[in-house]
Amino acid sequence: MTTMNRRDALRLLGLSTFGVAALAACAPDATGGAATGDAAAKTFGFTSWSLNEAAQKAAVQAIVDAYAATNKVKIATASFPYNEYLNQVVLKLRGNQLTGAVQVDVAWLGALAAMGKLRDLGAQASAGGYTDVALSSGKFDGRQLGLPWTTGSIGLIANTELLTKAGVDGMPTTIDEFEAALGKVAKLGGGVVPYAAATKAAQLKDIFPWMQTFGSPLLSGDQVTIGDEPSVAAVEWYKKLYDAKLIAPDVDRFDARALFSQGKAAFYDDAIIARGVVASQSPDKALVQKMAPLSRPVLKAGDTPQALLWGHVIAVVEGEGADAAAEFARFATSDTATVADFFQKVQLPPTTTAGLADPKVAGDSFTTEWTEKITKTATANPFWRYAADAQIESAVAEQVQAVLVGNSSAKDALAKAAEAVEGLQK
Amino acid sequence: MTVTLPRPATLPRERVRRRLRPDQARSRVAAWIAVAVIGLFGMFPVYWLIVTAFTPDDRVFSFPPSLFPSRITLDHFADLAKNEQLFGYLVNSVIVSVITAVLSVVVSAYMAYAFSKFRYRGRKSLMHLVLASQMFPQALLLVTLYAVFSAVGLLGSYTAMILSFTTFTLPLCVWMLKGIFDTVPGSLMEAAAIDGASRWRTLHTIVLPLAAPGLVAAGLFAFVRAWNDFIFALTLSSPERQTLPPGLVHTYLGEFQTAWPDLMAASFVVSLPVIAAFMFLQRYLVGGLTAGAVKG
Repeated sequence: MTTMNRRDALRLLGLSTFGVAALAACAPDATGGAATGDAAAKTFGFTSWSLNEAAQKAAVQAIVDAYAATNKVKIATASFPYNEYLNQVVLKLRGNQLTGAVQVDVAWLGALAAMGKLRDLGAQASAGGYTDVALSSGKFDGRQLGLPWTTGSIGLIANTELLTKAGVDGMPTTIDEFEAALGKVAKLGGGVVPYAAATKAAQLKDIFPWMQTFGSPLLSGDQVTIGDEPSVAAVEWYKKLYDAKLIAPDVDRFDARALFSQGKAAFYDDAIIARGVVASQSPDKALVQKMAPLSRPVLKAGDTPQALLWGHVIAVVEGEGADAAAEFARFATSDTATVADFFQKVQLPPTTTAGLADPKVAGDSFTTEWTEKITKTATANPFWRYAADAQIESAVAEQVQAVLVGNSSAKDALAKAAEAVEGLQK
Repeated sequence: MTVTLPRPATLPRERVRRRLRPDQARSRVAAWIAVAVIGLFGMFPVYWLIVTAFTPDDRVFSFPPSLFPSRITLDHFADLAKNEQLFGYLVNSVIVSVITAVLSVVVSAYMAYAFSKFRYRGRKSLMHLVLASQMFPQALLLVTLYAVFSAVGLLGSYTAMILSFTTFTLPLCVWMLKGIFDTVPGSLMEAAAIDGASRWRTLHTIVLPLAAPGLVAAGLFAFVRAWNDFIFALTLSSPERQTLPPGLVHTYLGEFQTAWPDLMAASFVVSLPVIAAFMFLQRYLVGGLTAGAVKG
């Protein structure tokens, strides 16, 4: 075997440093340069993760095909898996390999906006008839960088059958009522988790709406308020539920859905698409009829229920085909017949007043109830505006988890979380 | 001269088996228990993969989970057979992995031979430079390779994937083969030279055949590395050139839902070629990985 002495080790270290420096020198710059190409071109790209998702791809492709045929344009489609989507889009934007329209999760808009390559779609937005809450999901720093394609929220869903069995009358509206309801459900036994709340670090960002419920704004201007009295009270309350086994350890969104679909959870947090997912996973074909959205319980009667805004927007990259791509984005998100048909196929609520009023949408009681009870007061996560939003959420989640497992007090943990978040605000 | 000794007559089993002392018996039982526990630990995920692949959709999330499915279905395998896109991913994976393996073995064999048998200025530095390339974070390499392939118009091609995979496999292959070449006695090559063989001929007719197990091990390592890669294959390929790992993720993992039974069925089927290759080449692999470990 070849052995390595100290001189060899130093040589290796030197070469590694040189190599890293050389690689860094070869890497593209942060922005990838200015937009190029003919903005008036009739050929443009459309990048969307939905184009390859079994439940949605046919419906999305139909919109693309219909628009291309009617408007005599050529649309080159591309797709990446959802979990890798943001990284791939960022990389391709930096390498100037991506043009045209791009589907974007509302949580990612800030990260993409920071690259300075997205077109302001204010003109299309004002002609689209979008609802105010929907428009807000595509705004960044006062500019309309995305046209809302679907706007919903992450809210609470209940299994009404379990609540009835447990003797819970009506939906809880305050924290106290909610706790009492959880206590009654816990007495059912049989492995039922009263509230399948997120307790895994990967999903613990779900605690943000609870912190807001207790009165913390999370962010005031650029001042991080995590660690203030209300946020500490929220985490202590969460810990109380955890210790009382009213919420279960090691649960993320996928686990919560699995528990709920098996009739083993009375409440959990999810987006409006929960109905379709639960239906496909549950052996109880009638479970969908037993699902009911409810406003997040408030600290005291009269408070505004908190919910996290959720949805997709279509953004447009400046450069080749940007004009036609902007018109396509407007059509796909606001043409009433198109959005109503899309809703019928994939159950994602539209974003325009006319779309929501269409009989196909308005006739769906689950969607209208959801919109009225949850989406109406939903707000964006204030940290989305930072490019390091994902790291910010992780930093807070890790500290909350430390509280849940008893490694830290809520006050100390949130102080550490706030410090970490402040370091990530750029 | 070779003398062949008569083989002793086979003794009946009962007579061969020696009675173990209690402490020996206890250690043997403990060893078997340890092997069983480690085996269970290693094989359980594979077992769970197979069970999930045969479980109907509405039973996959049964709580509490069941070790043995109460109902089984072949639907997920039937769906797999109907999915032509997956066959395309499979073909791409085979093309990319086989070429990467061959390229890695050919290039690393010559590099390793040069490092092992020639003496020249800067040899050690070059060897360490090869090793140093293993120490870069993959994300850094990905961004840089993306920029380079984009500049030369190779993005979305097989070539981009093969070159990037070979970049990662070469260092280990070179060091592995160098260790093996080091064990080939210099006298053997001197004898070949005295008989008039050129260095080229010595390498191809004497050294490489002796290093065959190492070449197979290096090839398998490169093949598996290319077969399993996800992030480079996703980033550098086009939809038509996508290999199995990103293809499977793309097909079965969605924003809202993961089609676990279908994903497990597909994973089970696509791992079969690798399992077959390992079974067929196992003896070379073990020999090749250990051949350069000790100098004689």
